[in-house]
Amino acid sequence: MLLLAVIHLGDEAYGVTITQQLEAYRGRGVAVGSVYAALERLENKNLVESSLGDPTPERGGKAKRYFRITKEGLSQVHETRRVLTRLWKTIPESMLEVQQEN
Amino acid sequence: MRRQPPQLATWMLEHLTTRHRDDALAGDLLEVFRMGRSNGWYWRQVLATCVLSWAASLRARVPLLVFALMWSMAAPAWMLFIIRLAGLPPVLIGLVVWTILNSSFLCAGILVYRFSLKSFGQVIDRRNLRHAMWSAPLIFLPSLFTTFVLMNLYSYPGFSVARFATTPLSQIADLRMPADALRIPYVFALLCALWGAVPRSLRSLQQLTVEPSAIDDSSRSDSSGLVYELDPFTLRRFLGLMVGAGLINAMIIGFLLCRLPDSHAPAFASLLMRAIIYVALGALAGAGGTWLYWRSPASPFRAHAPIPFPLFALVCASGWVWVPSMVMFYEQISAASAFVAMIGAFVLTSGLRSAAFPAFASGQPRPSVPEMADGELFAESLYRPPIEAHGYVIALSLYAAGAALLTRLNYTAAALLAFSASVFAWKRSMPQRTSDETGNQYRQATLRLALIVIPAVLVTIWALLDGVAYRNRVAELNAALAAGNGAATNDNANQKSRPKASTLGFGGYESLILWPFPEKKQLLPPIPMEDSLLAPGTTRPLIIRFNGPYQYIQPPDRVPGPAAHQAHATPLAVDVQSNDFIPIMMDAHQSLSASVRIARCRKIEVEIANGDNRVGTVSLGVLLTDETSSQKRSVDLGRQPIISTEPGNFSIKSAPVFEKLHFAVPANARIRKFNAITVVFIPDIKHEFVAPKIAVQQFQLFAR
Repeated sequence: MLLLAVIHLGDEAYGVTITQQLEAYRGRGVAVGSVYAALERLENKNLVESSLGDPTPERGGKAKRYFRITKEGLSQVHETRRVLTRLWKTIPESMLEVQQEN
Repeated sequence: MRRQPPQLATWMLEHLTTRHRDDALAGDLLEVFRMGRSNGWYWRQVLATCVLSWAASLRARVPLLVFALMWSMAAPAWMLFIIRLAGLPPVLIGLVVWTILNSSFLCAGILVYRFSLKSFGQVIDRRNLRHAMWSAPLIFLPSLFTTFVLMNLYSYPGFSVARFATTPLSQIADLRMPADALRIPYVFALLCALWGAVPRSLRSLQQLTVEPSAIDDSSRSDSSGLVYELDPFTLRRFLGLMVGAGLINAMIIGFLLCRLPDSHAPAFASLLMRAIIYVALGALAGAGGTWLYWRSPASPFRAHAPIPFPLFALVCASGWVWVPSMVMFYEQISAASAFVAMIGAFVLTSGLRSAAFPAFASGQPRPSVPEMADGELFAESLYRPPIEAHGYVIALSLYAAGAALLTRLNYTAAALLAFSASVFAWKRSMPQRTSDETGNQYRQATLRLALIVIPAVLVTIWALLDGVAYRNRVAELNAALAAGNGAATNDNANQKSRPKASTLGFGGYESLILWPFPEKKQLLPPIPMEDSLLAPGTTRPLIIRFNGPYQYIQPPDRVPGPAAHQAHATPLAVDVQSNDFIPIMMDAHQSLSASVRIARCRKIEVEIANGDNRVGTVSLGVLLTDETSSQKRSVDLGRQPIISTEPGNFSIKSAPVFEKLHFAVPANARIRKFNAITVVFIPDIKHEFVAPKIAVQQFQLFAR
């Protein structure tokens, strides 16, 4: 979900926008600290990369850290989608209907 | 005017988070806050960030946490060693020695941590290491003092610690409060000293080429990949040397540390714990011994290792784990030692064969079945097997091992069986097609070791059980021999009621009770109350001749066990000493036939006969006990040194020296009457393992 948010935001992906995007996806609040912790883990796995922007006065003179997805990250997203799609197709429609009725 | 977030929260964000790479997170929080979020939201974000940051920090230091806990387990045993070592010099020098030894323990722990990390491909910067080495002792001293004060306050007026320490192994396994309290400062010092030294992986360091000085030359050569430049003969020779070095080290540790449990009927849990410790010791000792040769400048493996050392250690550990059980079986003169050695040798060699196969691949072909043309009629009958000299060697070794077993040369049999098993495994085991990836090889080696450790532990438990049974048999034999010689007593009635003697070592006893000789006239002191000189109105002292038992016990026991050896003798005529390096405690117990009121007794005079010719001061302590009460409460009358044992008055005695010691009885005591007098012999360090040859003659009770 985090990787999708970064892809979706493109060049505007930094802590605040990513958090807002995730809140919109999930429909509930997300801690900015947890977003940063997850992004650091992804960065350590070379799935995303980051760079510092310019400091701005509305942020108290603190710079933004922009995140971009890497090639490995993109292929990981595709692979995940493929696997999910395959798994999804294996579930019979009837079973999903029963679940919905319940 | 712009809104400002709570200052305290901002301060916490800046100072209480541990992984701040830059201010981006703080800037993001400020930006969202100024969009209209509340102070509560800001506080929640800051607190969540703090918790997440500390959790991540702890997660990065899990190995350190585990290591600090494991290393500190040995702290009580180390303290026991220091007390014995530093107990001799004067106080000031003793304090200096104590501090140096404790610092050495911590520094050794830091070095072990560093080298164990290196085995897993991680490294600590030298600067951080140096910082940890000098800061650990500085942190340790105040933390020890603080722990000491807090624990004494918690358990005021202090812990009831046993008078003497026990064996190092029992100290390591001791999980009671005093031992745990002792471990706290060690854990704290190690954690604080190494907290800033977060290990980094060697691979990442090499990729980034950051700080070349942080990685020493040896580590680079370790991780230089699999370079096979050695000819097969040199490779085989040095591999044998490494395996042999580890084996000898594991055997040394086995002979030195693998002991049988003190108890004669040990619980399964304690046996399991002991077996796991011994198996781990065997593996660690083997790895340690090999590592020294592996890293030696003369070793070709230092530069061109056929396999990485951690992988080699993992593979060989599957053989070394059998060494402790083999050693214990050998000490029991059991033929099982030879078979355990054979199993260990086979497992080790086959594992090594698989792991090191790529190194030999160029020089030695993979064992294979002979090729036959398809459809060739009677092809099998025309096939002539090749002559294999090793088959004859194995057969001869097996015959020789059998002969050695028949003549009870177990060690020779073990060596021959191990040799034949090794040759068989090397020649006939089929190397598995292992993955080229080192990670997979590690996983396979670890899984194999984990599977082998289980039977190794079970066999070690068997060796322990067999050892206890063997020890008890030897004890019975000794007791039977002693009874046959008529050395102890000829009292048949006592002989029948006496429990079976049992040994701690060969020819020793778990505990000992010396009774007065039976021909001595039995007295039942004090005399009946109506005749008692302590009765109201009397002032003459009451004299009680001592006719109770002397008890010799070893910690952690406080009273002689049911299997204590009993004999009729006086301490002046017997030599009682420890044969297992556990101190001996001695006391003399006198039961009275009627209770004496504390309020009527002013003073007790103990008359002793000192026939001890060993230098060193011995003190006496006296306890008065009311055995009629449910709690068996006692009053301690304090301790008095025996003058004739003090350095200024000591002389070699051809006949016992008689001496009287006075003990004042408090008027207001916790008990109102007593019916037992216990005299505790409190020796100095020179009498720690040898019981003093001092006998109690009589007591005089003075009326108040």
